[in-house]
Amino acid sequence: MMKLVVSVLIIFSSFLSTAQNTTIAAGERLTFSASYNMSGLLNELAQVTMETSEVKTSSSTLLKLKCTAATYSKWDSFFKIRDLYESYVSPKTLTPYLYNRDIDEGGYKKFMKYKFNHKSGTVESLKRKKRRDGSDWEEKKNLKINGSTRDLVTTLYHIRNLDIHKASIGDSQNFKVLFDNTETTVRITYLSKETIDTAIGRKECYKLAISINNSDVLKGNNSNLLWLTADQNKVPVYAKFKIAVGSGELKIKSATGLKY
Amino acid sequence: MKKLFIILGFITAILALILAVTPLSKIAYIPSVVALICGVLALVTSNDKQKGKKSIQLMFLMTIIALALTTYKAVFNTVEVGNTEQLEEKEEQLEEESIEELEGIDIDS
Repeated sequence: MMKLVVSVLIIFSSFLSTAQNTTIAAGERLTFSASYNMSGLLNELAQVTMETSEVKTSSSTLLKLKCTAATYSKWDSFFKIRDLYESYVSPKTLTPYLYNRDIDEGGYKKFMKYKFNHKSGTVESLKRKKRRDGSDWEEKKNLKINGSTRDLVTTLYHIRNLDIHKASIGDSQNFKVLFDNTETTVRITYLSKETIDTAIGRKECYKLAISINNSDVLKGNNSNLLWLTADQNKVPVYAKFKIAVGSGELKIKSATGLKY
Repeated sequence: MKKLFIILGFITAILALILAVTPLSKIAYIPSVVALICGVLALVTSNDKQKGKKSIQLMFLMTIIALALTTYKAVFNTVEVGNTEQLEEKEEQLEEESIEELEGIDIDS
């Protein structure tokens, strides 16, 4: 009987620990440089930042997760990108409540907003686009989601919050991500531990492979990789991806405000 | 044979020059090298004939300009983010809107 109680307790506590946020703190700022591989030559395209901050409403405090992408000035006259992805989450569990996506990619503008209602398992979605003549049009939808579905930004941070040190090589996990009003399954596989040189020093890293089910955005088998430092911060330091028209990579430039 | 090299060299030299002025300047190295090789081969195959020397010279000149421009850009152009004022404004505005939106939601933490 005692054994049963203890094992139930252990299972329950491990379940709890996976749900708790132990990695992400407010005030963290990660800067990356995105480059695109063109016939063997890497071209630095854009700066990507991942920032967290605290946001207060009258009744509660939330964590704001923000990702931005901006092309370097030499590209601006050519193909200007100013993307903003943000998510407002619970600081304790990283559960998303509101998600905004405002993109401007070479003149193509789109705005998406998801308002999560976890009790009823629905998402209020709002899509705003610009017509060619400059006027706006809106589309509102009510979507039914799975209990564990997250938005893109929260999923990124959630991956960092996983207990990878408990996983063994070859383990994989599926995540449901809401993107463009559809739920897609993203699969993360733990490949190996690797030590790589980065701008923030030589780091031992977890090497993860990312794949998307029923989608051909990402190409190749195990060619979309993500390196997270094998410490408590699990900072993403390097990422490689392969798409239909070539491949690219993301390299960290600086990391400040880390929790540990 | 010489004609082929001159034509090929000309095409690649022009391509190198065009690429060198775009932000894709790094790629200009590839056609530049090809243009140089074609130029040398054209010179070797032509040997004593005076005819066509001018075009080879022009080809070399274009390639050298392209190479110089590319190298200059690679050395002196620092990568920096352009004007992000608009983006920052948008962020602030969105945050205000979001906070208003979040007032209505009850957060169980």
